[in-house]
Amino acid sequence: MKSRVIVITSGKGGVGKTTTTANLGTALAMMGKRVVMIDTDIGLRNLDVVMGLENRIVFDIVDAVNGHCKLKQALIKDKRFEGLYLLPAAQTKDKTAVSPHQMKNMVNELRKEFDFILVDCPAGIEQGFKNAIAGADKAVVVATPEVSSVRDADRIIGLLEAAGLTQTKLIINRIRSKMVKRGDMMDTGDIIDILAIDLLGVVPEDEAIVVSTNRGEPAVMENMSRAGAAYRRIARRLNGEDVPIYSLEDPENIMDKFKKILKLAR
Amino acid sequence: MSTAYKPVSNSMLIDLKAYNTFAQMKEGLENKLALMTDLPIGSKVNLDIGKKILSNKQIRDLEDTLLDYGMHLDQLMSGRLDKDENVDLEEDQAPLIEDIKHYENTALICRHIRSGQKKFVPGNAVVLGDINPGAELIAGGNILVMGSLRGLAHAGVFGDEEAIITAYRLNPTQLRIATHITRPPDGERNEVDYPEVARIREGRVVIEKLKI
Repeated sequence: MKSRVIVITSGKGGVGKTTTTANLGTALAMMGKRVVMIDTDIGLRNLDVVMGLENRIVFDIVDAVNGHCKLKQALIKDKRFEGLYLLPAAQTKDKTAVSPHQMKNMVNELRKEFDFILVDCPAGIEQGFKNAIAGADKAVVVATPEVSSVRDADRIIGLLEAAGLTQTKLIINRIRSKMVKRGDMMDTGDIIDILAIDLLGVVPEDEAIVVSTNRGEPAVMENMSRAGAAYRRIARRLNGEDVPIYSLEDPENIMDKFKKILKLAR
Repeated sequence: MSTAYKPVSNSMLIDLKAYNTFAQMKEGLENKLALMTDLPIGSKVNLDIGKKILSNKQIRDLEDTLLDYGMHLDQLMSGRLDKDENVDLEEDQAPLIEDIKHYENTALICRHIRSGQKKFVPGNAVVLGDINPGAELIAGGNILVMGSLRGLAHAGVFGDEEAIITAYRLNPTQLRIATHITRPPDGERNEVDYPEVARIREGRVVIEKLKI
């Protein structure tokens, strides 16, 4: 299978790029894929914390690109899943410690070993962003249903197009179905209308994410988490499977549906 | 200081960019017109005033001066969009103003203009896509958007008050036609499901249903 390099980006900070990267990486590894997640947020690294691998870092991305260590030495093997690796960012440097050219070479090196290379992009449109997209084949833009997030996503899509990444897909994160129903929150249709790109998935707001992030256990590992379920489905879509977009309905409504089905069966 | 002039298509372009004050500008224009005895009566003249701002009275003054020599003012070309010093278009635009031959051209833009993207078209602009919030489209002529116009559009940037802006869905953050700037009223969002056109009527930008 040809390896795929996917950059996960958003423009705006705090919309869930790192959470998305961690969950999609874990979900793909659960499906038996060989996955490496690259944290390009040099100076503000987080992905290692979300993955619960913070205490295993010896070398980082800056060491790897500058030849202070072998690329394989900088890769941290996940404690739970075979085939899941993390390339952590450096915490004591800044974004200029890596160039887009170096990044591209490194990603191409990783292509030989992995099915999926997920690049966690920092917020902003400066050097960190340019590094992150340098070696990518595809981009996934994460946006929350807020005007500012959608605006930044639009800006990012334009920059990705300018860089030759045209098949960008959208993940709408932290949507609250109740607020959408009340008309207090932008719904999926409104956002797609503005951004005019394909929807990869919708992830509901879920308190379990906060818990799982703090614990360093991605939500996809928990069967009860609604966000985790949404990420598992997105991972299958990334793998080329045809999975319908996650239903936005509340759990009780799903129960209602079951009741309806039971009634019909009678 | 000399006043350069050159024939551009059917009308004459007189360059008044070099003058610092209005009095000097008017005097320079008169001197130049006195020399241009070979132009037929009724010729149309374009004046390029560079980055200066003229009041309506001053513009009428220049028009009267032209009329004294039997000429009409065709267009007043100004590199400045408004009184805002921060408009950084001036630099990009300056060479294009003189290039008025392109004015009648129409550019077809077959993509979305997204936030942070700025597109300048010397003539008319047709967009097969949307103009999103944070994006800018600036045209010397008319603007026609076949999708939603949610960002900023500036038609008739060289001062053409006849320029219009039409969109399949007109929902702009700001509209500019020639030197007029308007925005939708605060707190009001009347969504319509038909194409609209913005044009200047009696010195104001008005938006009406597009009837063809």
